[in-house]
Amino acid sequence: MIMIDHEGCIKCVGCSSVCPKNAIEYIGERMATYPELCIDCGLCIKACPANVIELFPKIKDISQLPPEARKKYNV
Amino acid sequence: MERKDYDVIIVGAGPAGSTLARICAQGGLDVAVFDKRKAIGNPVRCGEGLGSREVIEQGLEVPRWAISTDVKGAKVVAPNGKELIWESKETSGWILERKLFDSWLAQLAVAKGAEIHVNNRVIDVIRENGKLKGVKVKNGACPDICDYTAKIIVSAEGMESLTARKMGFPTVHRLYDVDTCYQYEMQPYNHQNLIELYFGNKIAPRGYVWIFPKANKRANVGIGIGAHLETQLKKSNIKGADPKPYLDEFVKNNKELKEASTLMDFGGVISVCEPIGKFTMDNAMVIGTAAKQVDPIHGGGIALAMESGALAGNAILEAKKNSNFTEGFLFNAYEKPWRETAGSKMAKRLLLRKVMEKLDDDDLNYIFSNMNQEDLAEIVGKSKFAETAARMVAGRPQLLKVLGALMG
Repeated sequence: MIMIDHEGCIKCVGCSSVCPKNAIEYIGERMATYPELCIDCGLCIKACPANVIELFPKIKDISQLPPEARKKYNV
Repeated sequence: MERKDYDVIIVGAGPAGSTLARICAQGGLDVAVFDKRKAIGNPVRCGEGLGSREVIEQGLEVPRWAISTDVKGAKVVAPNGKELIWESKETSGWILERKLFDSWLAQLAVAKGAEIHVNNRVIDVIRENGKLKGVKVKNGACPDICDYTAKIIVSAEGMESLTARKMGFPTVHRLYDVDTCYQYEMQPYNHQNLIELYFGNKIAPRGYVWIFPKANKRANVGIGIGAHLETQLKKSNIKGADPKPYLDEFVKNNKELKEASTLMDFGGVISVCEPIGKFTMDNAMVIGTAAKQVDPIHGGGIALAMESGALAGNAILEAKKNSNFTEGFLFNAYEKPWRETAGSKMAKRLLLRKVMEKLDDDDLNYIFSNMNQEDLAEIVGKSKFAETAARMVAGRPQLLKVLGALMG
């Protein structure tokens, strides 16, 4: 799955425009992700002009994120 | 919202969707536009430039309040600093206040009788026996999901184009097909009402830096670079294209900008590829940036979106008159004429972009040293670049080879 630093995100939807699995979407003034659809391809990271996306491979739920990542993203 | 059934449902209230809504409503059709954003035109993701031709062709007059400043021409700067200034009717236009401009276009559609509903997100399409019937819409302020039906669903969703994908249109971009862009609105900058474009592989690999003039000595300073490039290490140790450090470097090296304040950080990813292979299906079409109808040289999409919205709007009026919303009818009324006009121009410009990305800075400097204002007019304005380009690269056999291979 990916995590997005919403503070630095400029809401440009560049990530969703290259996502082959429709796993990212602009909803309610911020980008939302669907971890169950994400295939860890990293294309969104390459396209992101603000460099605010981080990849956590093979993780499908925020409860499985490392503690430091949960703290960083406040989840 | 009492109604549930319309002639036309449009997804997205940008320049394409609002233009199509205006034309269909003016022709007497029942039109609903859904946009998931809370406010039309926000967030801004664009350089905000628009040539005057398209607007005049549609018989519209952009109100002064939607325009930031007039543009009287372009200044193109080579990697070695050589400048070419080009002022003509073809380069005249405006830098818009994009939020206000999009809102103005939406208001014109409402004035003709179209319904526009912001904060309403299309979450899926509805099919009956395989036939596209409508959309499922979620209002941002309530948990309920409502069904709406229409004779035709139009995706005018811009870069994201998720509904178009659900309808079966291949709108996902490859990295090579997009430029990743970062922008600042800065002040003060003493511009000369010219669009300034700075080229060079060190400044902006497969792209350029732009400075667009805005009112009150403001400027939209931005950069776009090829998203497929692996210029830096990005988050999670993934190699990729990171435009912001290039832009910061440009600003730092510009005498005026390095002292200027930043009023806004924004950006986007721009389509610089060929349009999608198919714009129409039974009871469905895709218009504007969602169909990748974007100028592959400068990434401008507003003019093409309005042109496409008008063409598609008139096509829908014809479809309604003939009670025929099949792919065949929509293809002949919208897609075919689009590909013969705007599409043919776009194809030439895509070729030019592909020529440009083969050039190194030395090549670019050489070409600029042989280029004059008329050449630039031929290439940028009329896309009649083959002859002009051949003359400019005549002293460089290796460039002729590149050109030859691409024209092949």
